[in-house]
Amino acid sequence: MSILDRRAIMVDPGVLKNSGHYDAIIVGSGVAGAIIANELAQAGKRVLIVEAATETDRSFKGYSSYLQHFYGQADKDNQSPFPVNRNADMPRSGQLRKLDPLEINSTSYIVQSGPYVTDTVYTRAFGGTTIHWEAKTPRMLPQDFQMQTLFGQGKDWPIRYHDLEVDYELAEREIGVSANVEDQQYLDITFRSSYVYPMHGLPLSYLDQRVAAQIDGSEVELYGERYPLRVRPFPQGRNAIPNQKYDGGKGYQPVGAVASHQIDVGGRCQGNTNCVPICPVQAKYHAGKTLAKAFDTGRVDLLSQAVASRVVIDSASGRVTGIETKLYHDPASPDHHTIMITGTLYVLAGNAIETPRLMLASGLRSSSGLMGCNLMDHAYLLNWALMPQICGTMRGTTCTGGIVELRGGAFRRHQATFSVDIHNDGWGWATGSPASDVVELVDAGNKFGADLRQAIIDRVSRQLLLAFMIEVLPSESNRVSVNPSYTDLLGNMRPVVSFTVPDYTLRGAAYARQFAKTVFARLGAEDHTKYDPSDYGFVTYEGEPFAIRGGNHLAGTHVMGTDKATSVVDTNQRCWDHDNLYLVGAGSMPTIGTANVTLTLAAMAFRSARNMIMQLGRLHAPVQT
Amino acid sequence: MRIQDPRLHTFVALSSVLTGVETVQLFGTGQAEAYLVTLGKILPVALLDDLFKRFEALPAEEIEAAVEHQVLDDTRLGCVAQNIILMWYRGVWRRLPDDWRASFGAFPEDENHLISGAAYQAGLQWEIAGAHPIGARHQGYASWSLVPTKPNRRNTA
Repeated sequence: MSILDRRAIMVDPGVLKNSGHYDAIIVGSGVAGAIIANELAQAGKRVLIVEAATETDRSFKGYSSYLQHFYGQADKDNQSPFPVNRNADMPRSGQLRKLDPLEINSTSYIVQSGPYVTDTVYTRAFGGTTIHWEAKTPRMLPQDFQMQTLFGQGKDWPIRYHDLEVDYELAEREIGVSANVEDQQYLDITFRSSYVYPMHGLPLSYLDQRVAAQIDGSEVELYGERYPLRVRPFPQGRNAIPNQKYDGGKGYQPVGAVASHQIDVGGRCQGNTNCVPICPVQAKYHAGKTLAKAFDTGRVDLLSQAVASRVVIDSASGRVTGIETKLYHDPASPDHHTIMITGTLYVLAGNAIETPRLMLASGLRSSSGLMGCNLMDHAYLLNWALMPQICGTMRGTTCTGGIVELRGGAFRRHQATFSVDIHNDGWGWATGSPASDVVELVDAGNKFGADLRQAIIDRVSRQLLLAFMIEVLPSESNRVSVNPSYTDLLGNMRPVVSFTVPDYTLRGAAYARQFAKTVFARLGAEDHTKYDPSDYGFVTYEGEPFAIRGGNHLAGTHVMGTDKATSVVDTNQRCWDHDNLYLVGAGSMPTIGTANVTLTLAAMAFRSARNMIMQLGRLHAPVQT
Repeated sequence: MRIQDPRLHTFVALSSVLTGVETVQLFGTGQAEAYLVTLGKILPVALLDDLFKRFEALPAEEIEAAVEHQVLDDTRLGCVAQNIILMWYRGVWRRLPDDWRASFGAFPEDENHLISGAAYQAGLQWEIAGAHPIGARHQGYASWSLVPTKPNRRNTA
């Protein structure tokens, strides 16, 4: 019998009334919620997952329906596989426009209160944003945990790299990371002796190799220090060739597609160049893979189409007594009824926008006053050029390699670090290529026939796009808030985002642009970068124009710390104010360095799950007399 | 409509000159009939008849130059021919320019749209560039690390 047939997962809301028998109620089925659900269930605990979206992609058929939806969309934006569901709405980047001073735009799901307009997105679907993520899984650098101590910038974490090291290994196992340790040992990233990743690294693309041929071994100088450059492969949360040395020689069994019957997909990455917004073959990890294991225990129930609307607190003890939840029957209709869901522990695993949004909508600002503050996301600066030779662009995973040597260094006292992605999908992100190239060649170039064909080869297969993922530090004024004027169809308050790109980041962006020009010159590549003043992400710094893109790496809004006056959660992501409530995810991260946040938040989920199991053990222990 | 349909052959023969891609490859996309049906839904029969008759009357030798001067340079037929190119390369129909619509008719079906998910995947833009449609027709594990296959430089038809 298959994994999914063993458990009728959709629970009848009627049985939840006065249930009280769940050890944990988890709001959100993304990677953090999924890992915690599975860890608790493996430890014998009973769990209910509350998911706002439908459970469409829980089945292979449902997952395939997302793919068909993607193929059929004229505008393939990064949420295009996921049909609109106004009861559990999500940001979509096609809906944005530049704001006038003091203007607020409430026409998109995230209310943009400016001054900068963020095109960051997250996916409200079963499996959360892992259904959409690119699955790049670098660890944070040891120095990223001590930004204040080492560089006088941002905040220090209350834990260090070595505190997370074993949990990084657990996260890499759960996600199924493909990488080679020798490629990832840089800037003091350490691995325990004899550690190997579950799978061998994916090979660099031919485009990466062409870039490497010209820049490997060269250097750049920054604030008097020299940094050697080379193209390195990124660790990736997608299936490659299993490493037989893994786990002391036991090897690793890749996790294929989640399905209710045996199917021949979900093996190795096949190079669809479409990690975002959906991997067509489920070679990429998504939280559904962890959830399938969790459901298999028989101890995890799922309540889908259930939108958590209010966290209810006992005012005397501060403990959570229940979560008011709105159940809708049809994504096309706002008809719903409201129930109270209760358990022993409560875990909010939305994301760094949805979790503080729910807390603030419940009137819970944290005694620190920091709920929703310190919103971070990587700022992306795109630079694009034409290589002098055919490079076979638009093949591979979205990104296989990049330049990461400037993720750390003494210059962090002055300006932000960055990690550079070499995009295998050409100029697509920046210009809409190749469609934009074809249109331009036909309309402006009057090309047709053999000339057109040759021009397309020449234009598309030489494209190089360097995406600079630039660090953003915490700032209390960058924040998520709520306002009763802005609600969704169910009457829940929508997130209001206020954001400014800090000068520290813009100094990093200015250097990134200069760095790109240097690299292009070394490659003999023709720079085609231009930033349009009407772009919603347009900013200027010291007279230089830039267009900044969001990175969908949301973090910081329920910051972790050592005391309740200066942080929202403790080092186990438990709320200082509410001892049976955990806020999990990148929202707990005090800083994000230049690591895509998912691996780190997954590692933190393992840490929190251990703490929850201990707390449940204490609560259920016989009373000593 | 069947593959023997002479009108379909005329459409594909014209398309071959416009796109620079051999007729056998165009039929091989599986989209030839769908594109001709799309044209028929959007544009009046008389206009398409004029386009096809104009093409059929052109001399076989130096056909590219003849199509350029007799079809692409024609104010009425040229925009339609450019849209046919885009349809093959991208799988989309693009709304005709406003001045064309003012002169020759604003037809209700003449709106931007993707012909179908299959047409997206069949778009020539990917394969011509030595690539694959993003999200489909993958080339296989690690293929991306190899020297790209040399794209076919000229239509040898």
